[in-house]
Amino acid sequence: MSAPGMTKPTEAIARARAGDAEAWGQLYRDYAPAIFRFCRRALPTREDAEDATMEIFMKLKDKLVQYDATRSFSAWLYKVAANHCWDTLRRRRIRQDKETDDLENVPLEHPDPSQLDQLIEQRTSEEVRRALNKLGGRARMALVMRYYSDMSYDEIADALGVRRAFVGVVLLRARHELRQALEGNAALAAGGAS
Amino acid sequence: MSEMPKETKHLDEMTLLLYIERQLDRARGLEVSAHTQECDACRTLLRVLESESRLLTRAMLEEDEPLPSRLAQFQERARKSMQWIWGVIFGLAATGVYALYTTYIQPWQHQLEQAGFGGSNLLGLLIFQGAMWKGWQSMMTLLEVLAMVTLAGLGAMLFRRRIRRGAALALVFAGFCTVLALPTAVSATEHRGGQSPTVSKEETIKGDIYLTGERVRVEGTVNGDVIAAGKDIDIDGHVTGDVISAGRYLRIRGTVDGNIRSAGNTAVISGTLGKNITWFGDAVTVDATGKVGGGVTMFGGTLAMDGHLGRDILFYGDEVNVTGGVGGGIHQKGHSLIIGSSAQVDGPIRFEGDHPANVSPGAKLASPVEFRQMERRASYREGHYYVWQVIWAAAFILFGLVLFALMPKFSQEAVKSAEQYGATAGLGVLVLFGVPIAACIACVTVVGLFIGVSTLFLWYASLYFAQIIVGAVIGQWLMGRTSELWPLIGRMTVGLVIVRLCTTIPHVGGWVKFAAILWGIGAISLTFYRRFQPVIAPSVPSAPYAPPMPPNTTVGGALPA
Repeated sequence: MSAPGMTKPTEAIARARAGDAEAWGQLYRDYAPAIFRFCRRALPTREDAEDATMEIFMKLKDKLVQYDATRSFSAWLYKVAANHCWDTLRRRRIRQDKETDDLENVPLEHPDPSQLDQLIEQRTSEEVRRALNKLGGRARMALVMRYYSDMSYDEIADALGVRRAFVGVVLLRARHELRQALEGNAALAAGGAS
Repeated sequence: MSEMPKETKHLDEMTLLLYIERQLDRARGLEVSAHTQECDACRTLLRVLESESRLLTRAMLEEDEPLPSRLAQFQERARKSMQWIWGVIFGLAATGVYALYTTYIQPWQHQLEQAGFGGSNLLGLLIFQGAMWKGWQSMMTLLEVLAMVTLAGLGAMLFRRRIRRGAALALVFAGFCTVLALPTAVSATEHRGGQSPTVSKEETIKGDIYLTGERVRVEGTVNGDVIAAGKDIDIDGHVTGDVISAGRYLRIRGTVDGNIRSAGNTAVISGTLGKNITWFGDAVTVDATGKVGGGVTMFGGTLAMDGHLGRDILFYGDEVNVTGGVGGGIHQKGHSLIIGSSAQVDGPIRFEGDHPANVSPGAKLASPVEFRQMERRASYREGHYYVWQVIWAAAFILFGLVLFALMPKFSQEAVKSAEQYGATAGLGVLVLFGVPIAACIACVTVVGLFIGVSTLFLWYASLYFAQIIVGAVIGQWLMGRTSELWPLIGRMTVGLVIVRLCTTIPHVGGWVKFAAILWGIGAISLTFYRRFQPVIAPSVPSAPYAPPMPPNTTVGGALPA
């Protein structure tokens, strides 16, 4: 798991399951920042991310009994968060039909490595986050699941409701969208500067 | 791929991405590794893709903003602390229900019992025994089905944590199907229509009979109920059961052993009625020759009691004029009560009206008339008014909670629709005024009676639901949007309290309530409208097309570049 501070709090989970409010508070304090950041990356606005974080933890209260203690708690928690965020995006129809069409065409380009290298090297984290906000719901969700919470291809396929074989396609498409958004930012910045 | 000439064929980006993501099988991975050691372009692209992955991870993991204070303060303790608030709300709502029962329903029940409806509880009396709705089978069936569905839904809600969702749904559907599959009682019935459907003097009908036509006449004997609809209905013969009718004019000159349950313009009883009269309409007259064994329950204009009544009068309408004998008491809420000199009333008389009863000195009364001036305005200065407001607010919240829990999607859609102010205002005006008018018009016709009455019920319930929707919208304004059920219920609670508070403001409160109802009804109507709109299916396929996979490839498409 890439996110920091996500160790396995076995005892707290057991106590929270038994209805211990203090243990539940501990879990919240430990995991809420990471889950908020996950939601912040996945959802369009800060308010959405705040609402989603609270809703995920409310949901967690009921779902905690389903958690298999032999597996990673944080991975499970991210799965719950991913499902919730994707449901939210889907309900708002941010996911567009165009994205489904994209899956039919496997991108086969061999981009110019030097140009791509230049684009990536010159970009800051802040610019990437801004560009992420311009992506479609599925593309953003896929990147967040993979590069924030380190979810496996199986988990991403499950959350997005696509076949596992298409997860790579979704991720590559998302990278292409991101590059376009980064180039757009750069063009905008250049235009603004001139 | 490895067989391709190295100088012209590069690995595609997909393959390289899957390679760095460790999604290729071992053999393919070795191929890619070998290729990238020899091919500069592919090696560079691989390195750039790895850089891109690192940039993505870094951008995402960076703690660029602190946890919002709203989230920092949000603890499960907050939810736990809400539990006692829900307890208070339930308690207040229960008090409201109890007060409603003791203030309105129990006196009615008492009166209805005295009027000969039997000694069971009101709910059973009205709905399950069907005393009121006897003959209105469709209404009965609808109510029973709704009651069963509600109970099944509540059951599923209660046990949802213990039963898997599929099992719970299966249970509900199985129960529902069982209820629907239960055999209905078979009864011998006959139907006669035409211009003047008649049961002639020589005839004896065994079982119930349905008579529909302009002029309905029963001159013979019916050993069962008469269910009649027509302009003029004359019962000159003998009916051993009840007379259930809808029409302009009902005359009883013969004998009816059971009850009269009717809606219409005028009823005149000159003959003998064994049990009770339940009348929704303008006027009922029991002639000097008329005898009614039970009581009268009437919602309408005028009751003239010149004959003899065995039990009580329960009257909600304009005027009661008694010149005959009443074996029981009189409970009236209306404009005026006139008791003539020849009248005799053996029970207590309670009259709530605009003016004191006009009692002739010669009238024989068991006790003096208890008069109460009809109150038309709530007293803002009295403390109990505010206590009641709190209790009603709790009852509203409970009502909203049940509705939101039973119809979560619809409620959420209605809340969303409420933010389209123009459409909701327009539809609100149309539905608020148009529906009751249409329902009343439907009630005038016999065929539309059930639809009209049902529509009025739904319209009346929607007046309350409308305020709940508005409460939820206001709650969302204050506490932020949510698409989850329980947070939405929380917002509804906060908003509803505010709406109820605003409605208590003297002079303005009424307008606030009107506006809330208008707005909410518009939102509900808009949601209904959208539900009935045809859905155009998207043209995209339901599942993405799967390109052929080369052998030994685990994911992605390892296609030659």
